[in-house]
Amino acid sequence: MAFRADSKPGAVTDSPAPASSNGGGAPGAGAPATKIRKTTRGRAPWWVALIWLGPALALIFGVVIYPAIELVRASTGDYSITGLRRGSAGVDNYSHVLSHPALGTVLLNTLIWVAAVVLITIVLSLGLAQFLSKEFFGRRVVRWAVLVPWAASLVITARLFTLIFDYYHGILNVFLTSINVIDEPIDWLGNDTWTMPSMILVGVLVSIPFTAYVLLAGLNSIPDDVHEAARIDGASAWQAYRQVTFPLLRPALLVSAVLNMIYVFNSFPIVWTLNDRNPGYTHDTTITFMYKLAFKSADRDVGASAAAGVFNVLLILVAVVLYLRLVKWREEES
Amino acid sequence: MGATGRTRWIARLAGATALALGLAACSGGTGASDADNSGGGDSAKEIKVVIAEYSKDHTATFWNAFKKTYEDKTGVKLNLQIISWNDIDQQASTMVQNGNPPDILNLNAYASYAKDGLLYNSDEVLTDAVKSDLIDAFVKSGTYNGKFYGMPDLSSARALFYNKDLFAKAGIAAPPKTWDEFVTDAKKVQALGGGNIGYAQPLGPEEAQAEYSIWLFNNGGDWKSDGKWTINSAKNVETLQFLKDLSVKDKVTQNNPGKTNRTDGAFPLFTSGKAGMIVGFGPLQGDLDTKFKNVKYGIAPMPTKDGSAPQTYGVTDYLMSFKKKGNQDAIKKFYELYYAKDQVNTWIKSEGFLPVTKSGLEEFSSEASLKVYLDTLPNIHLTPTDDPAWDKIKLAVQQNLGTAVSPSGDPKKVLDDLQKTAENGG
Repeated sequence: MAFRADSKPGAVTDSPAPASSNGGGAPGAGAPATKIRKTTRGRAPWWVALIWLGPALALIFGVVIYPAIELVRASTGDYSITGLRRGSAGVDNYSHVLSHPALGTVLLNTLIWVAAVVLITIVLSLGLAQFLSKEFFGRRVVRWAVLVPWAASLVITARLFTLIFDYYHGILNVFLTSINVIDEPIDWLGNDTWTMPSMILVGVLVSIPFTAYVLLAGLNSIPDDVHEAARIDGASAWQAYRQVTFPLLRPALLVSAVLNMIYVFNSFPIVWTLNDRNPGYTHDTTITFMYKLAFKSADRDVGASAAAGVFNVLLILVAVVLYLRLVKWREEES
Repeated sequence: MGATGRTRWIARLAGATALALGLAACSGGTGASDADNSGGGDSAKEIKVVIAEYSKDHTATFWNAFKKTYEDKTGVKLNLQIISWNDIDQQASTMVQNGNPPDILNLNAYASYAKDGLLYNSDEVLTDAVKSDLIDAFVKSGTYNGKFYGMPDLSSARALFYNKDLFAKAGIAAPPKTWDEFVTDAKKVQALGGGNIGYAQPLGPEEAQAEYSIWLFNNGGDWKSDGKWTINSAKNVETLQFLKDLSVKDKVTQNNPGKTNRTDGAFPLFTSGKAGMIVGFGPLQGDLDTKFKNVKYGIAPMPTKDGSAPQTYGVTDYLMSFKKKGNQDAIKKFYELYYAKDQVNTWIKSEGFLPVTKSGLEEFSSEASLKVYLDTLPNIHLTPTDDPAWDKIKLAVQQNLGTAVSPSGDPKKVLDDLQKTAENGG
């Protein structure tokens, strides 16, 4: 979302269609600088522009702004367990969330979950994208196969993994014991040491397709002649990758990292489904924490949950901005 | 851009406005989008009935037939919505939050709704004939502040299921009557090896309060006595310690009982013939009789700590009705039809549950397989669902009890915390 924020509603020139493929071309493409075009401004009155923008504005209002207003409104309400609004709660809901005993655990879990999933996903996807960009027999089939985890519903994937991880009937324990990697079965989802790694594994698996395809698109947009030039200059394969491919891949990496951060942070089904047997908040992230506040915990408070929701939005915004700062996004643009 | 252009703009503007309104309506509530409740007027032409899905096979069948009978009889349209147990709490609270509650709601709690003043009581919507037919224990559990709000839809009772083959192999002649016998028997089954487990114990968040209630009632304990919360009483601490010892000291349960749910954890162990004993109820019996016929099982009353008379833990769910303008008459007719013998009992039978009416008790008495439950039904022991605080305590129990039985868990501390929650009003 943050990327498109610069397309101002006022600019109703026949503006250039925004560069469609993510990270297409060399860095610097699609910058707002190219927007200056000769148009006869002022012929149509402003409300004509509004009409053209109407559907888009209505959409933005309906699916972004209105729910946001409702969320904030709910976060200041005092709700009964039945959902009945009893009046205003002021900022009580916010202080309730901030003073919640499980908050520390939940925040730490979220950090581990997001950082681990995004990092591992990107590293693996880099390799996978490289592999998929090469010509080989059956590439089409492999490319389709990679898409499958993405196409499958997350709840179904997660449920499938609860079966695979199951202590008694799960195939993973059978497999690992039969090849003598482990001596006795591991309770992947019940043992506190293994719960988070198991969830991360599933998170990575379902994030790889999208990431690999973004990176693949990035790889495809690198012209062959730069590789050729590198080869002629005597660069080894590793050098060519480090110093030619990788820098040119940065826009795609940036996009996939930011989008993945947001997706993974907001991921509910995996954490919820794999963790549903565990009492308390030991392995919850801020998203499942929010849900438990509303419906499952003894708090059972829609208002507090809405307040947690507001914090979640702020948290991910701050995280994304920090990340962009860290990788010097501005520099990249110039 | 001439006049034809302008009409097109107007059309577009209209389209955009419609879209905006449509979107706003969509985002108004998750799940409560079919919200055309024409409650106005003197008598409702339509009532919305939200029912929990007890089983994929039978719930919809019964309620669709019921809907037809009701509509034919009264001329009031019955807008039926069946929601899975996983989502119903959330959907119900969203409906109320959006100011759009159903007319009839089927849920496992009612007291909070009664406390919020949302419900009709029995004087307003039940005929005398219906009310006097309901089993007294359920009327009592449905009564909040002296008024009867929580009409029971069906009930279930729990009992000890045991695997006859495993018992025979382990040389156990009869199901245990005391806790000592129970531990001895469970150890014998566990000692058979081959992945066999003495007792399948589900204390995960799904229904920890049920598993714990069964054991604590059979130790003479209770959640509440004489109007006061007694969650951390000596008896209750002793019970939870006993449950913890089963896995930590005696080692007769499956792995990690505090993190095992009932339906996807404990039941499969019993239906696959690996568990010697489990606390079960009607629907499990139904599964064993139809899908898992190779498991030979018996049903016995729960063992008690000291061998005194066994207590039966029961559950009932509710059909509560929301006060809305003009719907009282339609609701009264709804209850009258629901509690008709050929309706309520048909459904209960198909779902494998137990009756809530005295006439149902009579009708079911011929079924031998239900005898073990039916005898105890009039004296059934329920959780304090008539206290609104329980609605939150139940959630606290579900979320926290499992931590008490882990090797590092502290039963006393967990119960002390729960007691504090209860005394603060949940």
